[in-house]
Amino acid sequence: MAVYKRGYQRYQGPLTTHAARVMAFPRFAWRRLLNQRLVLIALIVSLIWPLLCLGYIYLANNLDLLKTMGGVAPVFKVDGHFFLVFMNVQAVFATLLAALAGPGLVAPDLANGALPLYFSRPISRLDYAVARLAVLGGMLSLITWVPGLILILMQCGMAGWSWIRPNWSMAAGLLAGFVLWVLLVSMVALACSAYVRMRLIAGGLVLGFFFVLAGMEQVLNQVLRTNWATLLNPTRSSYFIWSGLLGVETPEGPGVRECALALAGMIALLAWILERKLRPVEVVA
Amino acid sequence: MSSAEVVFDDVSKFYGDVLGVNRVSLRILPGITSLVGPNGSGKTTLMNLMTGLIRPDRGTILVRGLPPSDPERLMRITGYATQYDAAPRGATGFEFVATGLELYGYSRAEAARLAWAALERVGMTDAANRKVAGYSKGMRQRVRLAQAIAHDPEVLVLDEPLNGLDPLVRAETIQLFREFAARGRHVILSSHVLQEVDVISDQVILIANGMIAAEGQIRNVREEIREHPSQFLIRCRNAAGAAAALFGLDHVTEIRLNDDRSGLLVMTHRGDDLSRVLTQLALQGHEIESVIPVDENVDAVYQYLIGGQS
Repeated sequence: MAVYKRGYQRYQGPLTTHAARVMAFPRFAWRRLLNQRLVLIALIVSLIWPLLCLGYIYLANNLDLLKTMGGVAPVFKVDGHFFLVFMNVQAVFATLLAALAGPGLVAPDLANGALPLYFSRPISRLDYAVARLAVLGGMLSLITWVPGLILILMQCGMAGWSWIRPNWSMAAGLLAGFVLWVLLVSMVALACSAYVRMRLIAGGLVLGFFFVLAGMEQVLNQVLRTNWATLLNPTRSSYFIWSGLLGVETPEGPGVRECALALAGMIALLAWILERKLRPVEVVA
Repeated sequence: MSSAEVVFDDVSKFYGDVLGVNRVSLRILPGITSLVGPNGSGKTTLMNLMTGLIRPDRGTILVRGLPPSDPERLMRITGYATQYDAAPRGATGFEFVATGLELYGYSRAEAARLAWAALERVGMTDAANRKVAGYSKGMRQRVRLAQAIAHDPEVLVLDEPLNGLDPLVRAETIQLFREFAARGRHVILSSHVLQEVDVISDQVILIANGMIAAEGQIRNVREEIREHPSQFLIRCRNAAGAAAALFGLDHVTEIRLNDDRSGLLVMTHRGDDLSRVLTQLALQGHEIESVIPVDENVDAVYQYLIGGQS
């Protein structure tokens, strides 16, 4: 008897694309994250500084308005320095938000043994990692390069060609700088989440990663009387890169290329850590 | 080799120095197949291997003609429910099943339709919009089963699927397995409840220390275990007379009379010969009421093959 020869019809309808499938993870995760009060508050607070910057740009382009109000018009300049300050502040908020939202992304899946379930779907480990990265990347984009580009667009609209012509490359620089930072912060958050299953500790570890490396940089630079240890500090390295990208004079220390290489190395190391942890079966040997 | 089989060919898997499974060769036909063995014997490793979650160190695996290294195609025909509570925090039962379907590539509308259908099959529609975190153990088990069957797979792989289910739901779940199997699909499950395995399985795979101890239908497996004589409980009026008649047979190794003198336990190396002799005794006037094989079940086979190793 060959019962298995009875007519079995698999689903014949259309299927969504691979990218759409992978995006099912972030869609669900974003909904869940936005239901967390702390994350929502942090997200809203992170948008205050961009709003203030919008006000600054408006005033910078409407100095006559200040004069008519009877005030003395201060010097308002919208240039590389302005955007560098903007990036620095938003990078801090991005790190805090990643420390809040990141630990809940991978740790619960590892604790619940959910990875075998996910990987027994037609998606790969890389898809899973990219999806989790997209959760944080998408959220951090909302407070980094998206408002940054809005600021630049507003400045372009208000200042006109005379500003756009010499500063057009600033938009690309801001975008590239923020994308690099978002990628780094997201990778740190995911790696911490993959290694530490308690969210609070994982969040602390994310912040600790940046503080400890900053401390190490200070100590090594002092002891070795050099400034090459700056390469160990992702915050400082990023500052150097952003300065270069925005056309602002970079402080004394390693060059932009060296800093970019150092950050690329860190990201590669974090990717390797994730690769080791994101396995459907935990091997205890 | 039929493409409707799950085939392991000389498969080994080691976790570093730890043995997962060693030199496993199997052909699993459609129907309900139970993996039985003590903790750490390699049941879950076998399941993870056939779903492609881990790669074998040697040997090949084919699931209905598809290698596990091709998850894009394999996972469309395979449904897997692990033994863990794998639902994302905060997800409702419906979201858990529907989001899982979206990962297969179903549109949201189609995923919602299939998710409801699956939840209905496991009797979870009432609780579908409640968070999985608030479910009882049995409900979690059912929602895990729902996510495994939602895309109508040809091969259903279930790790301890009957744990935590109340008797009624257990019966309904077993019925669901039978319906799946009757449609020519594979239902491969692991269980510690041997009596249940006995009742529901078309074939059993006994595994110990990462190696296959036996496979096939329980009766056939039992017949292969020659070092342990088969045990039959015979109920009859004149148990002493029957015992005397059977005692002279060379394949009968032991006979024990029941205290009530109306039954006897016979141990023999040749069950078929015993049946023939009992038929003759019945024709000679012995009133034989019943002949029950005592150790033709998973429990006994497990004891004989694995009992000492667990």
